[in-house]
Amino acid sequence: MLEISSLNKVYESPGRRVEAIHSVTFGVGAGELVCVVGPSGCGKTTLLRCVAGLLPVSGGEVRVDGALVTGPPPRMAVVFQEYGRSLFPWMTVRQNVELPLREKKVPAGRRRELVAGSLEAVGLGDAADAHPWQLSGGMQQRVAIARAVAYEPQVLLMDEPFAAVDAQTRADLEDLILRLWRDLGVTTLFVTHDIDEAVYLGQRVIVLSSSPTVIMEDLKIDLPPERDQLATRSLPRFGELRGHVYRQIQRARGER
Amino acid sequence: MTGSLTRIGYGLAGLGGLLALTEAVPRLGLVDERFLPPASRILGTLAAGLATPELWIALGETMRGWALGLALAFCAAVVAGVVIGIVPGLRALTNSTVEFLRPIPSVALVPLATLLFGPSLGSTLMLVVYASFWQVLIQVLYGVAAVDSVAFDTARSYGLSAWSRVRHLVWPTALPYVMTGLRLAAVVAFILAVTAELVIGSPGLGAEIQVAQSSGAVPTVYALIVLAGLVGIGVNAAVRLLERKVLAWHPSVRSEVAA
Amino acid sequence: MRAARQPRRVVRLLMRVVRLLALPGLLVLVWWAVSGSAFYLPSPGVVVRAFAETWFSARLLEDVLPSAGRLLAGYAVAGLLGVGLGVLIGSSWRLRATLEPVLEFFRAIPPPLLVPLIMLLAGIDTPMKVLVIVSGCVWPILLNTVAGVRALDEVLADTCRMYGVRGASRLRRFVLRGASPQIMTGLRQALSIGIILMVISEMFASSSGLGFTIVVFQRQFQIAEMWSGILLLGLLGLALSVLFRRVERRVLSWYYGSGAARA
Repeated sequence: MLEISSLNKVYESPGRRVEAIHSVTFGVGAGELVCVVGPSGCGKTTLLRCVAGLLPVSGGEVRVDGALVTGPPPRMAVVFQEYGRSLFPWMTVRQNVELPLREKKVPAGRRRELVAGSLEAVGLGDAADAHPWQLSGGMQQRVAIARAVAYEPQVLLMDEPFAAVDAQTRADLEDLILRLWRDLGVTTLFVTHDIDEAVYLGQRVIVLSSSPTVIMEDLKIDLPPERDQLATRSLPRFGELRGHVYRQIQRARGER
Repeated sequence: MTGSLTRIGYGLAGLGGLLALTEAVPRLGLVDERFLPPASRILGTLAAGLATPELWIALGETMRGWALGLALAFCAAVVAGVVIGIVPGLRALTNSTVEFLRPIPSVALVPLATLLFGPSLGSTLMLVVYASFWQVLIQVLYGVAAVDSVAFDTARSYGLSAWSRVRHLVWPTALPYVMTGLRLAAVVAFILAVTAELVIGSPGLGAEIQVAQSSGAVPTVYALIVLAGLVGIGVNAAVRLLERKVLAWHPSVRSEVAA
Repeated sequence: MRAARQPRRVVRLLMRVVRLLALPGLLVLVWWAVSGSAFYLPSPGVVVRAFAETWFSARLLEDVLPSAGRLLAGYAVAGLLGVGLGVLIGSSWRLRATLEPVLEFFRAIPPPLLVPLIMLLAGIDTPMKVLVIVSGCVWPILLNTVAGVRALDEVLADTCRMYGVRGASRLRRFVLRGASPQIMTGLRQALSIGIILMVISEMFASSSGLGFTIVVFQRQFQIAEMWSGILLLGLLGLALSVLFRRVERRVLSWYYGSGAARA
């Protein structure tokens, strides 16, 4: 569904040339949930922005469903880290979720259905007429997730979506993502700096090196498909996987 | 570094473009030279004017009206603002009056100033003081209101006198607001100074423009307006510099209160 | 309980009225006391009577309304021009860098100085007065719009790109709304400049209008009428500023609500 081959990204400004991503190649199959982790400052966000078509690549290519990405692909949704800044403060929750559907020219009846359904799915059915700034951070991120879900994307990208919420909210949101992913079967690429989160959520975890970025390891997570915050996290295998990824990232740091 | 250099380059190109345009449009006959003289002639007239004492005297008159009026308004507004701000109940008592008087356009006072002072410095001062007083007062009121009430009570309980409370607590807190008020007032004061000269005929740049216009000396009108624009930029830059100097030590980096 | 609460509410209401009117009342009293001796200061009663006689007459149609109409027309044109050009300039880094010094220069020119110049170019009729108002009001609107467009949130811009919000919809739902706090600041500054220019352009060269009429009163030493004119200008300024604040509260309710205004 999503193919990234020899992606290279160099930031150039007069008198300065910074190679953020050296070469990255991996694929995400249809309906798969893949997590990307790496040490801080490893170009995770750059990678995601290239995949999303928000940033032109310097070399290599990104394909969605076989089509070359040159700008934001029509059936891709992104949930940004900065929930406070990705919702339009002058719109209500409903209008925020509805806006992309309006632009896609979805008929009004279907639009209402999608908005109501997605808000229900994230547990915000009765907050539709509130403004985003009247909600807590976790709830705001739920709105952003509802907006992505209502858009009915083929591919869902998430850029450290829970980095700025508290631990309890974070656990709830992780389970929300797992549930939505399972229900909708949407191909998901989830970027995070949190190793636990990556191992808990992903079917595969891709470990990145420090910048200029290459892939250190593409790890299959052989945990049972049903995940549970308590049971899964206390499995011995969970601990092994987490330790493995942790050592990889330490090595990535040490090499630079 | 390179970025800001590029920026300056673009800016210079923009100014050059403006000059070229004002040069070319009348030369090519797109606009009659009687209405828009070429840039070279405007600047030439300005240069010639600056070689004579008359223009400098006029400029001096304008700046005197500006500085005096601004100083008067500033002192009055700071005193009034601090008193209104710290005497309990006074803010509520004066609010309606301030809100009524503030939006009155100062040019409404033109006929009154003409009657009272005629074409003299007094007229200029009246308009300048009225217009800039409110700019400062409002900011001082914001500033005094920003003083933490806990800090204020603490100061009182430690037996600080009213004067030292103002000096060590109210004034430092309000200072950034006061400077914002001064900056806004300086610009308004300059506008009103030339307006008074233009409309009432008090001596200064505005009166010179009025004379040049009625005698049909078009290049002079343009030259004086360019000069006024340059002075306006100078005034703006000067108060900004002053603001930065005065507040260099100040810990609070605050965004401007919408004026 | 209720009996006790009722009088307290009355007292509070009374206190509010006292606070609202005490100082203005005192000032009017002082005015009354002083006015007996001064030639240039007729008593409040005389001014109020003159106000009623002067302005509740044909003058309302001949002088006040045309003035207000020109103000409105000039302000509206300046608003459209300022916001339109501001969005254009704000969206392009190159354009902004090129034009910023030029715009700063134009803004630094005291707007009333444009009156004699524009009289030269456009005569002394209505178009001149409207043009004067436009040429003075446009700069604060333009420059504030540029600042607003520049300060638009990048994450929101990315969100728009991701979800295919572009063209007119992007302009209406994102750019203009996002820049609206700064645009409103520009419009507020422009409004007070507009009133000043309306009055000055009429004082300068005119045979009708508010500014013209007040100057005539002054020249003919009709002191009470002149004061009534000043009063009318004051009321006009007050009414427009109250109206503007209403509109602003409405347009920017999300902005005040989100607390961004205090950030």
